[in-house]
Amino acid sequence: MVPYYAMTIVIAALIWGLFAMSLDLLVGYTRLYSFGHVASYGLGAYSSALLILHFDIPVPITIFLATGIATLIAVPITWICTRTHGVSFAMLTLAFAQLGYAMLFRFKEFTGGSNGLPGITRPAGPFGLDFFQSKIGYYYMVLAFLIASFLICRNIVNSPFGKVLSGIRENEMKTQALGYNVRNYKWFVAIMSYMFGSLSGALFTPYAGFASPELFFWLISGTVLIMVIVGGSGTLIGPIIGGIFFILLEHELSEITQLWPLAFGSVFIMFVLFFPQGIWGIFTTISKKSKSNPSESGHAHS
Amino acid sequence: MDFFSFLVIQSLNALSQASILFFIASGLTLIFGIMRIVNFAHGALYMLGAYIGYTVAIYTGSFFLALIIAPILVACFGIVFEKLLLSPLYKRQDGGAYLMVTFGLAVILAEAIKLTWGADPKGVQIPEMLRGIVIVFDFPFPKYRVFLIIIGVLMALSAWLFLEKTRIGLLVRAVSQNPQMVNALGTNVVFIRNLVFAIGCGLAGMGGVLAAPMVTAFLGMGSSVIIDAFVIVIIGGMGSFLGSIIGSLLVAFVLVFGAYYVPDLALAIIYLLMLIILIVRPGGLLGKEE
Repeated sequence: MVPYYAMTIVIAALIWGLFAMSLDLLVGYTRLYSFGHVASYGLGAYSSALLILHFDIPVPITIFLATGIATLIAVPITWICTRTHGVSFAMLTLAFAQLGYAMLFRFKEFTGGSNGLPGITRPAGPFGLDFFQSKIGYYYMVLAFLIASFLICRNIVNSPFGKVLSGIRENEMKTQALGYNVRNYKWFVAIMSYMFGSLSGALFTPYAGFASPELFFWLISGTVLIMVIVGGSGTLIGPIIGGIFFILLEHELSEITQLWPLAFGSVFIMFVLFFPQGIWGIFTTISKKSKSNPSESGHAHS
Repeated sequence: MDFFSFLVIQSLNALSQASILFFIASGLTLIFGIMRIVNFAHGALYMLGAYIGYTVAIYTGSFFLALIIAPILVACFGIVFEKLLLSPLYKRQDGGAYLMVTFGLAVILAEAIKLTWGADPKGVQIPEMLRGIVIVFDFPFPKYRVFLIIIGVLMALSAWLFLEKTRIGLLVRAVSQNPQMVNALGTNVVFIRNLVFAIGCGLAGMGGVLAAPMVTAFLGMGSSVIIDAFVIVIIGGMGSFLGSIIGSLLVAFVLVFGAYYVPDLALAIIYLLMLIILIVRPGGLLGKEE
């Protein structure tokens, strides 16, 4: 149970954990470095903001609808992006995200331009249920979404489909030569990744009470990538930990020191250079070692 | 103002903007061409150049001295960065790792600059001889922008001559095509790479010094310009020097004329242009597909 005063920051941390996990499907399992993952977050965030402002639909339903809308938009975009790989993929996703960012300012009357959309509430319902309006209720809802998404993603990556993705990660040409339609696999996983990313964005606006163009700014794509790598890419649980860990750490450290972003960047570079397996990867290696060591020493003694 | 002089003045504006964009984009494309590194920190290096330029101009009182010293310092910084953080990654064969390390550096640099120079924008004075205006077809045009156009053209010409007419330029082009072969023929490929990385960083730094009198040196100037530079390099073709010139001109003209005719759409047009080119010609106008 989380103490009430900490609830606000914990909800943000869970949302970011979900966001980072969604990117892991692309980065960790398929080695598609997306530099435009903010597009999913921003689309989800603006969809739920607009749905609440214009239709006042109960908040859980809003989140499903917003995720659905954002995912539909992602279908053609990811189709184009997954025609490519490597650096081109990174640049193409960045281009689409920037196009979305520019569109926010083009359709001002709709998106609020640089002011964004303030005054987003959490509409009550469905069936007169007002539990999700409260902060505690919303916390449980976010937690439930995170756990459900994690279970779905784990099933995906452990399925035969997920094994083909790992094949693409290790050797795309070879996987294609084995007769798999690599493009469609990449397309499908990109859609899934965008879907969970937009879910996290859709959860953000009713929590924060606003949507602003910053939710669409490209630096967020980099930040979330950092969380995935530091947490441990290709593990799902690692990026969740990475996301939660960073938001909580940022909250704690930014109160005592101005140096937070400096530490953030340095830690990130250290991880890329020396611990590419990330926090979760280090943790599992250590726990494996400590498990295997006693048995080895046992053999030596016997 | 009749249509013809409007066209001339706006074109000159676009050319001066293209000049600054060229400084950033050409460095980016040179580095990519020879090292296959997409340098996310390039915008931060441009910002670093602007701030160092500001300090040098304050202490020496000379903008032109700043224009020489700042790029050299930025280039030195680039070499240190390459030696310390990029070279350990060369054997890993993973383009994503470069993206991430350079992105990390961009974050660090932005913060370090904030800590060193503070959060307020720093205005840089235009030197005495470049203040004021010249008259073009009876209309005033700032002298400093004329200076930008001239220095941009000079830099493009000398870089082209360097690449096409000198022996080192020949080696640079050779390394970008087949580094193993050049290495086998007895050339120090590592030296060529360091040189190009330094030149690329120095160009970004110089762009920063040149931009500072117009937009002031401010935090965040790096993160907006890096995206423009990416667009240019993608449109022109990653690794193509000529492509970066064409891309800079294209983007600057669309921005300047777009801001006049379709103010809300100018940015969107540029990204759309980049998307179309990426889809139709994934390697860019003058590049080859990877």
